Amino acid sequence: MTTLDIALPKMAVLYGLCFVPWLLLWLIGLRLSRDIAVSILRMSVQLALVGFYLKTLFSLNDPWLNGLWILVMLTVADLSILQRAGLKVRYFVLPTFAAIALGTLFATFYLVVLVIQPTHYYDARYIVPLAGMILGNCLQGNVIALERFYSALHKNENEYLTFLLLGATRWEAVRPYYRTAIKAALSPTIASMSTMGLVSLPGMMTGQILGGSEPWLAVKYQIAIMVCIFTSTTLACVVNLKLSLRAAFNDYDVLKDEVIKTR
Amino acid sequence: MPAIIQFDQTTVSVRAKTILSGISFTVCAGEKAVLCGKSGSGKSTVLKTLLGLFAVTGGQIYFQGKPLDATSLPAIRSHTAYIGQEPVLGADTVRDALLLPFQFKAHRDHKPTDAQLAAVLAKLQLPSALLKQESSRISGGEKQRIALARGLLLGKKLYLLDEVTSALDNESKQAVFDVFADPNLTVLSVAHDPDWIERCDRVLELEEGRLIREERHDHA
Repeated sequence: MTTLDIALPKMAVLYGLCFVPWLLLWLIGLRLSRDIAVSILRMSVQLALVGFYLKTLFSLNDPWLNGLWILVMLTVADLSILQRAGLKVRYFVLPTFAAIALGTLFATFYLVVLVIQPTHYYDARYIVPLAGMILGNCLQGNVIALERFYSALHKNENEYLTFLLLGATRWEAVRPYYRTAIKAALSPTIASMSTMGLVSLPGMMTGQILGGSEPWLAVKYQIAIMVCIFTSTTLACVVNLKLSLRAAFNDYDVLKDEVIKTR
Repeated sequence: MPAIIQFDQTTVSVRAKTILSGISFTVCAGEKAVLCGKSGSGKSTVLKTLLGLFAVTGGQIYFQGKPLDATSLPAIRSHTAYIGQEPVLGADTVRDALLLPFQFKAHRDHKPTDAQLAAVLAKLQLPSALLKQESSRISGGEKQRIALARGLLLGKKLYLLDEVTSALDNESKQAVFDVFADPNLTVLSVAHDPDWIERCDRVLELEEGRLIREERHDHA
């Protein structure tokens, strides 16, 4: 079974669908035309470029090139996490990079090397999209973890200092905020796993089915990717917050003012 | 008496603004000292700098003869109880608030019994029934005394007190005075209360971050 192509005129018909939300938003007085146009344009250009480089990557299938691409993805994710979490890049760029690299690479290689076992472990057709999906979810989790953790610490600074002055080590004093932040970061993934298939058909599975895969094969890949997303997000968030402490506090265990961007 | 705290030409600047400007004074073991002066004169900053919450930008602070730095700070914090104007109890009930420090590794082996909790409350004119009370439902004055009780349970010898009698009636205030009559306890406090200032051995007056007056009270 082959997937039916969407020819360019039909793509134009597809873009026409955007007229419905645009009209609704206009009717309720939300003037978002510019934002909508820019985001649709960006999405289209970015995905066209993705299509181009994936085609190139798949045809060359060079381990170094694949590795370089994963490095680029990790760097962009690192900067995006810090920007969205409202934290200064120069303090957190290294711990966040190390944590997401650990989480993503561990889960991706576990899946590719031990579970899927393609002829070459570096096969771009497996490693690039799988690492991308895992990293994308890892990114969301790390944004929530960092944002929640440092907002809570900033907001409850007196409570944190009270813990310190009552004899807590820095780690003991931050632990309540740490646990809350990790729980918040993992909640979307846990909720998504528990309702998967009931509330929605997941994107990867839908894509595979449309691509001609057997539903059972699509289901197995979906389970595999969800387990990897959960593992990598947990690993990256736990390690990221822990590593970030060294950069965020001064020698006297006081949260540095300058690490959080003024909002 | 050996010096416990020594400020030596200490300057503290926060975001390019000078809060304390070259102040020098000493507090000896068992002494009760009070910092007074107008709001914004730097009184609370003195207490917080001693706890490492503000960085010293000039001069030095010594604790038991050792300069304040990352190595000596844990010892300072472990010897000291800080009770601010609005103490954070950090737990849902008064009992849990009193037991909070004993969850930490440093105090885990010294958890007090219920009888000890009740005794320390009684010392501060607080009923033992308060133990079951929710922390959010108690008054500011009770909170300050519970924070003080926590320091006593930890056996702290140095107390940094920021306006601890501001929310107390005369009877409760007397209980706090009685606690600090103990010659083994050293106090560096911030106060506007004339009764408190009168009972202290030494008065240090600050104005715009400078020490402008130092006076000794002879209670003999």
